[in-house]
This record gives sequence, structure tokens and C-alpha cells, in this order.
Amino acid sequence: MLKITPEEIKLITKYIYEISGIYLDESKKYLLETRLNGIAEEQGCTSYQDFYKKAKMDPSKAIERKIIDAISTNETLFFRDTGPFQLLQHKIFPELIDARASKTPVLKTNLKIWSAASSTGQELYSVAIVLQELLGDLSKYSIKLLGTDISDAAVAQASSGKFNKFEIERGLARDKLTKYFTLAGQTWKINDQIRAMVNFRKFNLMMPFAGLGKFDIVLCRNVAIYFTLEDRKKLFNKIADVLEPDGYLIIGSTESLTGICPRFIPKRHLRSIFYQLK
Amino acid sequence: MNPDGYPLTINGAPMNTMTILVADDDPVIRKLFEKRLENAGYEVTVASDGFEAARLLDATTFDVVITDLVMPGDIGGIELLKIAKEKSVDIEVIVITAHSSVDTAVDAMKKGAVDYLEKPVNFDELFLRLEKIAEVKAMLKNAGDLREAMNVTESSAAQTIQDLEIVNSNQQMLLDKLEAILKNSYKDEFSRIEEALALLESR
Repeated sequence: MLKITPEEIKLITKYIYEISGIYLDESKKYLLETRLNGIAEEQGCTSYQDFYKKAKMDPSKAIERKIIDAISTNETLFFRDTGPFQLLQHKIFPELIDARASKTPVLKTNLKIWSAASSTGQELYSVAIVLQELLGDLSKYSIKLLGTDISDAAVAQASSGKFNKFEIERGLARDKLTKYFTLAGQTWKINDQIRAMVNFRKFNLMMPFAGLGKFDIVLCRNVAIYFTLEDRKKLFNKIADVLEPDGYLIIGSTESLTGICPRFIPKRHLRSIFYQLK
Repeated sequence: MNPDGYPLTINGAPMNTMTILVADDDPVIRKLFEKRLENAGYEVTVASDGFEAARLLDATTFDVVITDLVMPGDIGGIELLKIAKEKSVDIEVIVITAHSSVDTAVDAMKKGAVDYLEKPVNFDELFLRLEKIAEVKAMLKNAGDLREAMNVTESSAAQTIQDLEIVNSNQQMLLDKLEAILKNSYKDEFSRIEEALALLESR
């Protein structure tokens, strides 16, 4: 395996920060080596200095994309941590649908939901499944579920709606598995009806949020932990800008907005917390 | 495993603790499997056909099923493989095949068999495969244990953080109110202080 020197760690972590906003400190030597070694060898690099140059000079940005795919953590599960999904099912969806339906009783009820770091799609598909179970007939609603991630590979897999047995078996109950997925060879594929509810695309959370529109619910779980404090503040400020005045923000169960964004107030429902604008 | 086929031991306890079900209609082969596997420290149960094997699978669970592909009756090796996998995907199935029917064995692997062995069975090879299976099972168990430990830590940390988040938010709201009271220039200083103290005492 290609060894990385302390100088190269500085160089590479700075480069990763520039292209993705992911902040790795110098203790992440092992992570860098294990995740980047494959790409470095594939590119025939003799050192990480060389690797850095090749990545920066590559006009197609293919190496840059591969680095982002390798470095962004894709640990995600269907219904990872049941709290947020129970929160959506029993509190947020009923409240929101009530509020929206009484506002426009004649028109279709609009709902816009954004999974800001959707990884390989499990979270957003889980949200879609909860909505389907809760509402049954979706024809009275106009529901837009958007998933974005910085990794092309993650977005591609999310869009395919295909999961292997390890990705699917953890977290997903047997009844939901057989109801919403079909087995094709070794992979499970999400049913067309659920697939049609969601959209995935590449997006870097460091960029301006112009053009995204407003959302009723934003899920931004376990991604800000990879950002610097300054970037976290900017991120949640931008999220506050794109949230409807009565919208909901859900962050990771071990994350906190204390000292990050005073525009949000935390509210508790059972064993979960969600945030709303002041 | 040492060359004599006896299990390596840790503090006297055998290392091979997997339970194995062997299904073969040839009594000589069955006996051979039973003896060699038992000598190697595995816990072995034998079945003389697919039906008996299916019945045993229904009653109890096994880590590994070793089955002949061709057996008399309606339940052959492929059917037994299906039954085992339906019971639990964690049951690993090794199929035994005649040299001439390797294609069927490959087909069995597509259907979920972990490996196949050709007749006559080379036991050294079988022991190697079984050790690999045990290794993978141990790793999966370890990963599962780690995930479990992570979930416990995460949910306990989450409760602490959420409690702090709410407490902090309430304190912040109190501070905001106090600030508004104390800065209220329509009232004299004394009544501002009195009002601020009343708010603090009412908590």
C-alpha cells in the first residue's frame, strides 16, 4: 500500500476540503490510505504528491469524482434509527397535511421533502414508504421527494433503486421488504410506484441553495459532522432560508444545533427531536 | 487444524463449534462424513435422504448443510438447498457432486450454495472450506456485535444530547425574556429588576 507522509496528509486533506467541504484532520491517516489507495494505484501514482497533481490536473475531473465517492461515508440503512421515521409518521406528516389541506382545500396537497445527504437512497426511500403506508391513495397529493448527495456513485445507486442483500436486510422488516421490493437475481429492486415518488441528483452542500425552492421537511442527518464549525453554521443558515416558515428540520440523533444556528428551536416528540424556525 | 485431522484447542476446548447436517443416501459415505467431521470437533447430524434432512432442518438449526446433489425421493440436493435457505440465509450449504455433473453444482451455487465438492470427497479440502465458513461467520457476528454496541452507544448519546438541547433552548429563551425586561426603557430600573426577579422565581 502506498504510504502517505505528514506533508501529503496536509496537502490531500486540504484538497478534499476544497472539492467537497469534508474536513478531515491529520489523525485521519488510516482513513485516507485505505480509501484512496485503490484510486492512487489505478492511476499509477508513485506517491500521494503525484496523486494530488494528477487529480488536480485532470480536466475531466474523473479522479476528483472518484476521490469524493471514496471519501464520503455511505453508511446508511433503511429506517436507520427508527426515531425520525416514527416522528414523521405520527407527528410531522399528520400536522403538515392538516395545515396544507386546510389552506388549499380544493387543490392537491403539496409536500416538498429534501434529504440533503441522501447517500445511496435508503433514507429517502424509507420516507417514501412511510408516506405510502400513511396516505394510501397518493392521487390527492402532489409530493416531491428530493435526494441529493455529493457522490456520483451514491446518486447513481440511489437512482437505480437496487440494493444487495447486506444493504437491504439490515433495518428493513420482512413485510416491508416483500411489499416494496422485488428480488431480481442477487439484488432487491424498489417497486416502480415508490421509485416514481423520488428524485436524486448530485449537489454539494457547500454551494449556494439558489434554485432549490422551499421545503416542508428537510432531513440533514449525520453529514454536518464532517464539516468545520464555520461550515456547519453556514449550512444550517442556508437550510433555514429554504425551509417553509412552519417547516420541519430533522438532524442526526447525536447532532446538536446549539451554538450553530439560533434561528431554529428544538422541539421534542417522544424520544426524538425536530427543529422549527423561531 | 493439525495434519491428523484433530481439532486445535484453546484451553482444551475444541475450536470447531459449528453444527453440521450431512445428507447422503450412501450409508458408507454417511458414516465416513460423520466420523471425520466428529474427529475434527464438529457437531454432526446425518440424514439418509432429503426428506429426513428437511425434517431435521425444520426441527433444529444448523450452521452448515453438506448434501449430495442426487438423492432418492422428491427432495434432492437443490431442493434441500432451497429449504435450508428459506429457513435462514445464514445456513451455508455445500453440495457434493459427481465429477460429471459440475454444471449442476455451479447452478446450485447460483442458487445460494456456498461451495461444491467433487466425489470422492477430499476431506482436507472440506476442512479448509469449513474453516473459511467459520471465519466468515465469526466476522459477520463480530460486525453484528459492533453494530449492536454502536446502536446502544448512539441511542444513549442521543438522549443526553437531546436533553441538553432542550435545556439549553429553554435557558436561551429565559435569557431573551430577561434581556427584554431589563432593556425595557418604558419602566424604571427598580420595576425592571423586580419583574426580572419575578420571572426567575416563577421557573
